[in-house]
Amino acid sequence: MNMSVDLDQTPRSLLVCDWSSFLDDKNRVSSQVEQLHFNYKVSVLLPECSSAPAHLDSVLNSFSSFYLIRNLPIHELLDKQFLETAVYQGSVYGLSYRTRIDEDNCVALMPNGRLSLSLDKDSYQLLGVEGKPSRFSNRTNSRYVISIDLTDNSMAPGGRGYLRLLTGLMSRLHLTTDFLLSHHPGGGASLQPLLSRYDWSEHRPELHSHALTHLSCPELQSCDPHSFLEWLGAVDADISCENSSISFLSSLVCPEPKTTLSRVLRVSICGLLLPQDVHRLIQEIRCYLEQPQLESWLSLTVHGFVDSPVSWGGREHGVLRGGENFYTLLMFHDHTYHLHLATGAHDTCPP
Amino acid sequence: MRRADKDDKPTVYQRVVLKNASPHHYMKIHLVLQDASTRLSAVELKQFIITGLKSLYGEVGAALNFDLLKYDEDTLTALLRVYSRGLVKLWSSLTLLGSYQNQACAFRVLQVSPFLLSLTGNSRDLQLD
Amino acid sequence: MVRLKSRYLLCEVIVSDRSRLLLLDDRAIASAVKAAVARIHGDYGAALCSIRFSVKYLNAHTGIVFLRFPKRCYKLLWSALPFITSVETHRQKIPCFLNCLHVGGTIRTCQKFLVQYNTRQLHQMLPKCKNEEEKRQVHKAILSCSLTRGNKDTIEDEPESEEDEEE
Repeated sequence: MNMSVDLDQTPRSLLVCDWSSFLDDKNRVSSQVEQLHFNYKVSVLLPECSSAPAHLDSVLNSFSSFYLIRNLPIHELLDKQFLETAVYQGSVYGLSYRTRIDEDNCVALMPNGRLSLSLDKDSYQLLGVEGKPSRFSNRTNSRYVISIDLTDNSMAPGGRGYLRLLTGLMSRLHLTTDFLLSHHPGGGASLQPLLSRYDWSEHRPELHSHALTHLSCPELQSCDPHSFLEWLGAVDADISCENSSISFLSSLVCPEPKTTLSRVLRVSICGLLLPQDVHRLIQEIRCYLEQPQLESWLSLTVHGFVDSPVSWGGREHGVLRGGENFYTLLMFHDHTYHLHLATGAHDTCPP
Repeated sequence: MRRADKDDKPTVYQRVVLKNASPHHYMKIHLVLQDASTRLSAVELKQFIITGLKSLYGEVGAALNFDLLKYDEDTLTALLRVYSRGLVKLWSSLTLLGSYQNQACAFRVLQVSPFLLSLTGNSRDLQLD
Repeated sequence: MVRLKSRYLLCEVIVSDRSRLLLLDDRAIASAVKAAVARIHGDYGAALCSIRFSVKYLNAHTGIVFLRFPKRCYKLLWSALPFITSVETHRQKIPCFLNCLHVGGTIRTCQKFLVQYNTRQLHQMLPKCKNEEEKRQVHKAILSCSLTRGNKDTIEDEPESEEDEEE
């Protein structure tokens, strides 16, 4: 009967900060970028810049398209032809669309060929494939996670595990959902056999850019991580930091010491974005930073899908309050960087 | 609350893990009113939330510091910032606020996060139609 | 079996006009505390104050009150006590405030403290006595201060009523 009266308790949160240099052999930026499979939004902040440089613009415009399939029966992902043309050849990124991980059944197909199903208890028992209780369902075990390696021998078409899952999905649990799909490097061509059988549409990642003027900006090298992320969030959400401490509505201010930037460009891109594209963007930004110019930093933020069953690698992810899984890469002129990785309440520590 | 593991050469590679260290929490809320044509200014909204805090947690609750970072009058959606220690109080008083000027109302809490940044990239907003 | 733990607050009601102390009763004190908690801590505080809160003992002569609060929220409720500025009873408003002397886990520890406290008060009174008769009475009262297994009220009331006379 723990009727706790501790109203001051704070929910759990986790922030990992890495300070390193791209020139250091031990830097793990590329693996950290590649392990976050399902990216929803990338936003870049360019100081002292009024329009995106041509190189960056071309990279942003060349982000891969992704496909939305309506009412896809999940057993189609086990289709022999699909496995051979897409899963075994390269990386497939698939994620159920408009399913909420705290209410619905969610499915993710990861580039390493792992299929991750996050199911409620009824569906889990109906399917009859072994899984683990979710970390997010507390003691009640109302949610289970099944993770299957489709490249494993037992999952080869005709194998025992394969047949068991296939009959489960075909005859017992008719799991149908809208599905986002993308393929690297094949693109739409590799997915065509699957797409052609269903109602599908192709989507380009949406690009937005916004120019800001006279923005106060903290001293980035010394700013503490939480204040920096707060400031960056305020810039992203168009929240003014010009408040006085006595104002009634808000007392949010830019952390001291601060400088003023005359103009800043904020570019964001939304959709199902591939880590490979994000990686390409980072390389291009590094080249851009090498040019001599006024401001010598640039920040890049990547948000993962809140309803994805996995965050970094195969680590289980959930929503609870915010569902955050994002990272911010702050790059400097001298190849050093600050990387902040954040996850939500019960997620495991990012890599 | 904090754990830090550092490499041999801290100048080159440094990794710090901050647990529960976020000083603030951010909430994205949406006010639903019975009469959809009612308009509320930012000041009125903040005052309304303060009355809610006062009725549930008294004068001590009414003194709780929180900021209304952003407010859209057309959609009645707002971003709030509150010290992490006050999150439970603020959230519970929002839940129990049931009427505004004699008409039924409700606050929908859309997202709560220790990072303001994560409120700007919510994939539930993705529209592909 | 788990005991429901409580905290007992030993408070002194301080009024400007001591004769009005006799007007006080348990219910008046309880409603004053509840009203203060409701004002300072709102519905939440009022709800906490409705479970197992009671005025266990009131001595209208000396203005000593024992308040019982549930252990898990006594600090929150305690914080509202300084905001009591008057107690309403018999349609009269008595301006007063509560001075908390001791916080104990059982009534007995509070009682022990009270006896000690009263003895100390009597000792302080001794030099102020005006004549021999008063001095003799205070001496007698100090000697009778001890906690026996007998009726609590008789032990406490005696020295306390003496104290009344002196002031």
